[in-house]
Amino acid sequence: MPERFPGYDVLKKRNSQSWNDQTREVIDRRVAINPNLHRFFNEEEWQTMRAVCERIVPQTVARPHPVPLAAMVDEKLHSNAGDGYRYAELPPMREAWRKGLAALDAEAKSRHRRRFHDLTPLEQDAILTAVQTGDAGDPAWHDLPPRSFFAKRVLHDIVSSYYAHPTAWNEIGFGGPASPRGYVRMNFDRRDPWEASEARPGREQQARRENARVG
Amino acid sequence: MRHPSTLDLISALALAGPAIAIFARPSVASHAGKSLVLSKTKHLDFTTPRWGAPRSRSSVAPAAAREFQRLISRRLLRPHLQKRELTRSTGRRLNGGAAMLSLSVLADSAVEHYRGSFQNRAMYSPLLVSVLTLGASLFGTADMRAKRHGTRDAIYTAAAATGCAGLGFHAYNILKRPGGWSWLNLFYSAPIGAPMALALAGLLGRGAERVRDTPQHGRASVFGLPAGRMLAAVTAMGLAGTAGEAGLMHFRGAYHDPAMLLPVTAPPVASLLLGASALRPDRALHRVTRWWLRLTALLGFAGVGFHALGVSRNMGGWRNWSQNLLNGPPLPAPPSFTGLALAGLAALTLIERAETNA
Repeated sequence: MPERFPGYDVLKKRNSQSWNDQTREVIDRRVAINPNLHRFFNEEEWQTMRAVCERIVPQTVARPHPVPLAAMVDEKLHSNAGDGYRYAELPPMREAWRKGLAALDAEAKSRHRRRFHDLTPLEQDAILTAVQTGDAGDPAWHDLPPRSFFAKRVLHDIVSSYYAHPTAWNEIGFGGPASPRGYVRMNFDRRDPWEASEARPGREQQARRENARVG
Repeated sequence: MRHPSTLDLISALALAGPAIAIFARPSVASHAGKSLVLSKTKHLDFTTPRWGAPRSRSSVAPAAAREFQRLISRRLLRPHLQKRELTRSTGRRLNGGAAMLSLSVLADSAVEHYRGSFQNRAMYSPLLVSVLTLGASLFGTADMRAKRHGTRDAIYTAAAATGCAGLGFHAYNILKRPGGWSWLNLFYSAPIGAPMALALAGLLGRGAERVRDTPQHGRASVFGLPAGRMLAAVTAMGLAGTAGEAGLMHFRGAYHDPAMLLPVTAPPVASLLLGASALRPDRALHRVTRWWLRLTALLGFAGVGFHALGVSRNMGGWRNWSQNLLNGPPLPAPPSFTGLALAGLAALTLIERAETNA
């Protein structure tokens, strides 16, 4: 699939009026996350977690800076910065992840006699689908409801980590935090000069030119 | 961090500069160089109906300045030319009012139409026409000849026409949006009242040219009606309309600052006073109107200061100018009140003069 926002790099806004020091600091920290650093997950959990992330948001296109999904979730769990709410059927965030990853591995072993990260992508997808639909029946799930774990933890934490990263912003043409500079051309189909330009068919070159000037 | 001291300074300058210019002794103003406002004020007082009578008001002025005035008056104004001088200077003051209005339109439409990305080619036209109107008006203010000027008059006609066409375009812009004629679209699409400022600049300019053209022994008239009353009526309606526009926009801003009430209170009063002055030959009323119009003129300048403060209050303040100048309160809008008030003052002089002659 061709790029939708060719040549757009949200980080070019870094030193413009669009961002202030607080914004720069937060984004710098996010971009600097070491993809291999894990302080919450142990080695086994880490292997499973990386495999899960690969299946939930596969990053197949070669990218200079792929989103370090597993490390971002690890960072969230390590700092234990919660969402501010909890679903009653699920245990607290950290506990849910530990139990859920262990249950995924157990599910893989009972079905294929191998650990989750050793399975083929199709086998992994089948297990994740079973978790999503509530068909995962390994006793390791115990009191953790698989469907809720999938919808409220796996999707929630991994997908929101993905779209919190500048690499994903470039992909979808998002401008990052509007802090302090927001947008002034609010109508449909209008674009501020510091906004990503979309390559609708026939205007790919124009979009690339406009994106080169974003900043 | 913001620096309130800088902002205070900007606001203070925005208030103090024009205050000095408008209220300063004319004799001082006559010394003070060639700036637009100052040169207008100078003639404003040189040519009041009291001309030729002992000028008690200038007693505070420095003796040298008084002497300077006297010299000029001898040179320029032999008694039989006083009336011609009156219509000429009033014409020039009206040109000045039109200049202020067209400057406001130029800056405002440039900023707002840039924001609208000049989506429609017609969005360039107010820029072009207001540049021409501004040029014609400045030329008119500087032009000491009494006669009407053909090119100026033509430009003013074009400005009036462009303003009216703009009204149509802006109405179309509102109506074509989902919801049509709704408060939301009145607030957020093309401002319905804005093009009228250009139309008013054109009308006042045309009035200026008619007044200049007054025959030596005739009455100043516009479209066959007494010029003073006619122009006072136009200006009064302009003030009311501009106050309506400010009211709409300040309502959108929820009157979050008490100062936002000023342009919806002072100019409507000025409008009513000017309308009443056009109908009633009452000296006391005229005096109140004159002072209220001066207050309104001052308010137009002060508004720029208030709007600058408003820009600084938006997130990122002045450092975030590329958003806040567009998104915050428009800096160029308030001086429309000044332009109209100056025109109102000129109209008032014409009315008073017509009464003294009658």
